Amino acid sequence: MDTIIRDCEKLAKHQSSSSTKILASIDQAIKALQTARNNIASSSNSTTNNNGSGSLIPNTEDLVQAKQQVEKAQSVSDEHIKDLYSNVSKYGKHVEKAFKLDLSVVGESRAFEDKRDELGYAILQHFLREGDFLLAAEFSSENSLDLPQETRMRFEQMYRIVTLMRSDAHELGDAIAWAVERRDELDAQGNGLEFILHRLRFLQLVEKGLATDALDYARQWFPRYSKESGRMDEIEHLMGIFIYAKRLHASPYAHLFTDQRWELGARMFAAAFCASMGLAAMSPLGVTVDAGASALPIVCKVSGLMRERKVEWSQQNELAVEVPLPDSMRFHSVFACPVSKEQATPDNPPMAMPCGHVICKASLEKLARGVRPGTVASGRFKCPYCPVMSSLTDAKKVYF
Amino acid sequence: MDKINVDNMLAIEEPFIKVPLEQLRRTVRQTQKQVERETAAVSAELAEVLKNQYRLAPEEIQKTLDALIERLQTLKQGLEQVKQEESQLIQRSKLRAMDLNKLREFESTTQPEFQQWCRQRLDRVLIDYMLRSGNVKTAQRLVETGNLEHFADSSLFAQVMSIENELKDAHSCQGALLWCSENRSALRKIQCSLEFELRLQEYIEMIRARNTPEAIKYAKKHLSPWSDTQLPRIQRAMTLLAFSPSTSCPPYRAMFDEARWAALANDFRMVIFQLYNLPAQPLLHLLLQTGLSALKTPACLSSDPSEHNRNCPVCQTETLGKLAQDLPLSHHVNSNLVCRITGEKMDEDNPPMRLPNGYVYSLSSLTEMAATLDGKVKCSRSGQTFKLSEATKLFIS
Repeated sequence: MDTIIRDCEKLAKHQSSSSTKILASIDQAIKALQTARNNIASSSNSTTNNNGSGSLIPNTEDLVQAKQQVEKAQSVSDEHIKDLYSNVSKYGKHVEKAFKLDLSVVGESRAFEDKRDELGYAILQHFLREGDFLLAAEFSSENSLDLPQETRMRFEQMYRIVTLMRSDAHELGDAIAWAVERRDELDAQGNGLEFILHRLRFLQLVEKGLATDALDYARQWFPRYSKESGRMDEIEHLMGIFIYAKRLHASPYAHLFTDQRWELGARMFAAAFCASMGLAAMSPLGVTVDAGASALPIVCKVSGLMRERKVEWSQQNELAVEVPLPDSMRFHSVFACPVSKEQATPDNPPMAMPCGHVICKASLEKLARGVRPGTVASGRFKCPYCPVMSSLTDAKKVYF
Repeated sequence: MDKINVDNMLAIEEPFIKVPLEQLRRTVRQTQKQVERETAAVSAELAEVLKNQYRLAPEEIQKTLDALIERLQTLKQGLEQVKQEESQLIQRSKLRAMDLNKLREFESTTQPEFQQWCRQRLDRVLIDYMLRSGNVKTAQRLVETGNLEHFADSSLFAQVMSIENELKDAHSCQGALLWCSENRSALRKIQCSLEFELRLQEYIEMIRARNTPEAIKYAKKHLSPWSDTQLPRIQRAMTLLAFSPSTSCPPYRAMFDEARWAALANDFRMVIFQLYNLPAQPLLHLLLQTGLSALKTPACLSSDPSEHNRNCPVCQTETLGKLAQDLPLSHHVNSNLVCRITGEKMDEDNPPMRLPNGYVYSLSSLTEMAATLDGKVKCSRSGQTFKLSEATKLFIS
């Protein structure tokens, strides 16, 4: 990529200097032509003034001069443009070198051929959840798709509150009211949003110098965080802030006043809001495209190799290779038996041996059968991963 | 796993870099031809003037010179515009390369700057999709709100759309033929017969209009040059003269079919995409298809909604789930275990714990729960309660 950037910089310089030269040479040619033309005009004028007595003096020299200039312009521009073209080609070669993947091998997929509307709705959901309601409206009217009103209203509510939190005044009231209203739900999820918001508000009051208000606020909201919630230490620590009220930013509490705290709070609120509505925390479309960016090159390479077999990648039951994805994109447990390398299924569930090692039922049965009678009591076998002995009846099903 | 695979990320960006490059290549080539043509013409006319200078009236010479001056001035204006265009394309190429180069600076996929970059890539991919599918206003808004002028190939798609619509709606080959003549050498290189198809269509239209003499003249002029490669089709085209537009004879009925226009529009699109290295399908399709496949697990297909995960794209049954329906499942040779409570990965650092009922959760989620529930844990799937000490650690190799 560095080479490509350097190429572009070189090209930019080259292009500007060579086009200046070309333009200058054409200017020269125009000037020479103009001189020739003006001289002819003035000499023909003077001859007519002389009652046509003097013979016409053709301005051969001017014309020859002009022709030379035109030819010069021709050769100058030819040379410079050729040069520029060869530089563009050189840059093109570097680009070819940097990108070798042939995307066309996966382009034959017909998977989305009759799914334009489904895709449209997925995009629409994305626009709504990103909070660009005008964009969503534009897109839905351009494609005559119905705007999902309920989703729109939910996200409008979310963005209204988030916008208030992000605004310069950092208004927290609506967010706090929302969290208080859903306290049971949040507590059940172990979500500490309400406390985080109270802390933001408390610190905001302290920062504004409203010590009494802050104290009142603490009295109103903090007592509910009894000892078990594990917040008491933090609350005790927070209450010490009044000692430093006049010089907060040079106090041990200074780190609580970072600029990011609003953004973090807003994000936490948005995540809790989505969870409460049963909506995904991150845009599913965005997550899929990111996953696709990891998967596409891999699928491309493999499809390229399998091309002669005439299997179109999207028509298979399962991808031919594993696509490594970041942990944040793992949403379901997948158990692959370390012995057989097969994925567990309801008929072939993962089983835990007494030692805690897990393999699939089929592998387990194979191990139990494979034991030579006589060596050990029949049906007993050694775990493939540790010395502990096991048997079919000892193994227990697990549900991930 | 959180490391960024830069080479992989770059691999799919070929069109992003190549479009402005190809545009630049074409602009330079066309300028070269234009300058050559114009200067040569001016120089030839001057030579003519010089040769005949004694015979021509000064007024005539003057007139010729005026015309030549004007010609060069037009050329100069054109070049000034091209200069702008070229420098813009180079600038655009550089900005795009710099954007891709940012990838090398990111250290992990969890870095906010990286996520921001991915967000912008999504916008780029969406703009490409919108431009291709003719959602011009949506594309425009995405470009404006994201400040992505240099990352969108709006002008190229505007050209594609206008020529395509001319074919589809106005049933005219004019724009497409002009484009073919501008790109003749590139088309020859990829052995493209689009121009022949367009010529054939114009010829068919003449027959439809019962203008036989014109049609024959046209065929002589525009179809016969293709005899090297298209002879059987030219012969068939000539036979068409014997049929009326209402014929039911299959090959000739197909030639008279109005649907040929839509096919031509599509052919044109495929050819121009090929020339600019754009994939035939929008990148959004390719990314979504492979992405959904990579995310798809048997659990996403389960009829039991409790198996679904609200954060999983494939589990969005109303939207992306429908798109994923016929796509392949992901392939796994290694286990990937996700805690049902926290969504965190279960591995050596956060081992999976089996409750007596067989259900498995991560150690961290169970310890956290036990801290608030007096040493007890509740199975979120069965509702049963156990002591934390009853959970046994599992080993996944």
